[in-house]
Amino acid sequence: MVRWGMVIDLDKCTGCQSCSVACKAENNVPHGSPEEHQRRMTPFWHKVIAVSRGQYPAVSIDLIPMPCMHCDDAPCVTVCPARATYRREDGIVVQDFRRCIGCKYCIIACPYGVRSFNYKEQEEKEYHRPDLPPERADRGVWPFPRRVHGVVEKCTFCFHRIDAAVRQGKKVGEEVVPACAEACPARAIFFGDLDDPESGVSRSLASRQSFRLREEMGTSPKVFYLPR
Amino acid sequence: MNFVTLDGRSGAYRLTVAILALLTLGGFAGFIISYLAGHQVFGASNAVPWGMPIVMAIYLIGLSAGLHILAFLIYVMHQDRYREVIRAAVFMAIVLIFGAMLFIALDLGRPEKFWRLFMLFYLNNMSSMFAINAIFYTAYFISATIYLVSLLNNMKRFSLVMGMVAFGWAMLTHGGTGAIFGFIAAREPWYSPLSPFEFIFAALTSSLALLIVALVIIYKSTGRLLRQELIVSLGGLVKALLLGMLLLMVIGELTHLYAPSRDAVVYTLTGPSSWLFWIFLVGLGAVVPLVILFHPRAKKSLSGLVIASVLIVIGIFVKRFYLVIPGAAYPLQYYPGKIEGVWGALGTYRFAPVEIALAVGMVAFLACLFILGLKYLELLPAKQPGEDAVTETPAIKQTTGELNSGAEGR
Repeated sequence: MVRWGMVIDLDKCTGCQSCSVACKAENNVPHGSPEEHQRRMTPFWHKVIAVSRGQYPAVSIDLIPMPCMHCDDAPCVTVCPARATYRREDGIVVQDFRRCIGCKYCIIACPYGVRSFNYKEQEEKEYHRPDLPPERADRGVWPFPRRVHGVVEKCTFCFHRIDAAVRQGKKVGEEVVPACAEACPARAIFFGDLDDPESGVSRSLASRQSFRLREEMGTSPKVFYLPR
Repeated sequence: MNFVTLDGRSGAYRLTVAILALLTLGGFAGFIISYLAGHQVFGASNAVPWGMPIVMAIYLIGLSAGLHILAFLIYVMHQDRYREVIRAAVFMAIVLIFGAMLFIALDLGRPEKFWRLFMLFYLNNMSSMFAINAIFYTAYFISATIYLVSLLNNMKRFSLVMGMVAFGWAMLTHGGTGAIFGFIAAREPWYSPLSPFEFIFAALTSSLALLIVALVIIYKSTGRLLRQELIVSLGGLVKALLLGMLLLMVIGELTHLYAPSRDAVVYTLTGPSSWLFWIFLVGLGAVVPLVILFHPRAKKSLSGLVIASVLIVIGIFVKRFYLVIPGAAYPLQYYPGKIEGVWGALGTYRFAPVEIALAVGMVAFLACLFILGLKYLELLPAKQPGEDAVTETPAIKQTTGELNSGAEGR
């Protein structure tokens, strides 16, 4: 059985936030305004946090790209009353907007703050992207051309890409990767099957020390970080 | 003991109903706005996901506990003097639990899908505390309603059974509400195994205090004679429960303070909103009422008891508010160090007019339901002969002659 996972090499990451921008474009996530961002009301499926340690001039900053961790033991799946969020067999934790009742309990329970509530009916200009290539049109219902307000959203590891690639017999992790990994100019993000010892992610995990975020929570995240 | 309905034809009664109905309309308008425009009109955000409706929901759930402790006292402790207030207390509990469920439904992003919460074992994930609480709340509502019906029909044996069922179920309901918060490991200020017990004690304390206030208001405004001894004994109960709640709170905070990873509890006790905790919850909500309730004269005076009860009711509201909003605002520590920008900042919450209108409107709706219930159901004890209520008694006889004669016939 495959178990999709991600490895992010913090040594290569430059903090350019291309991953966040690519995610917004790929998944049609509304832009939001600076004021809404200040109030933490814009949906973010992917974010890059800056963590500082020490005082100037003796200061170091870590830049951590944070997609959904797709935990093997995900608290959001445990608390969702409507089975709207669930773990697929390939390990991806997805959110079904049709089932979601918008109780926000998953936002409360997520230790990584990767879930966003859709606070308003988005205007067309919020996500109308004429600059995107026309082949977006034939990806079926995903990503939604429009979204309803009042439901919770989150990163899906771009499962539409993965599912299409599996159907077409392409190699996931080499030919097809999630939008954030594809957009990374430093090639710091790897994607692949954690259960396959020959995959790129398994080999990079075997080659170096790695860590996961908030491992003390016991959620077994499937996003690994290679330290600087 | 005979029970009667309220006359409900006086100008003051009609004015009260009209004002409450107007506020209810305002609340309904607030809900429609939030439904059409989305929750951006509320004060909540992804950092503080739950706002006023959830504060009100858990507060009202707690307030509804009064009936159960009375039922417990009557049937287990054989304190028959409480029988005269049990009907009003049960009805109040039903209205409040209904209100709590309403608040939860109105807080959903997609309120039209609220029925999904009740698709137990079929479309629900039964490991969710929300789904488990859907069982608790529904059964609580149903058992309290059956209990009220049995009381209204003077079914002695059956009401004893239902009273005990309702009491046991209430403990599950209040504990379950506490578990919604206490079981979430990601939110450090909430994560505590004591949370369900704290909720039970807070619920019993606040509901008895509310019962005292409501009884005094109803008895005074309808010209009934309130027996001092009844209210004083309720005051003694409130005192004991308040002490129990404080004890649990102290144990909970101390446990978290003792361990070296004490950031969350230090935030709770000294954070930017801790003035709410110290002034309203500890000061006005616990210390002042305890001083009143221990004072040899004040604890026997009606005004002293009412002041203490009002302070407790407000204090427990602040306790709920402090848990839901500043508690959730505590930032998540994704990575060791200082997280820059909004991702590491304390969550913000602002009071939004629509949210306030919604909360006030729903409370007005519940108050309206309650006083309408007093008019149409036999909830209040009949006046004793000799009470100064000459103006009202004939009117009651006229409007509810049939019901009264039925009750007296038994």
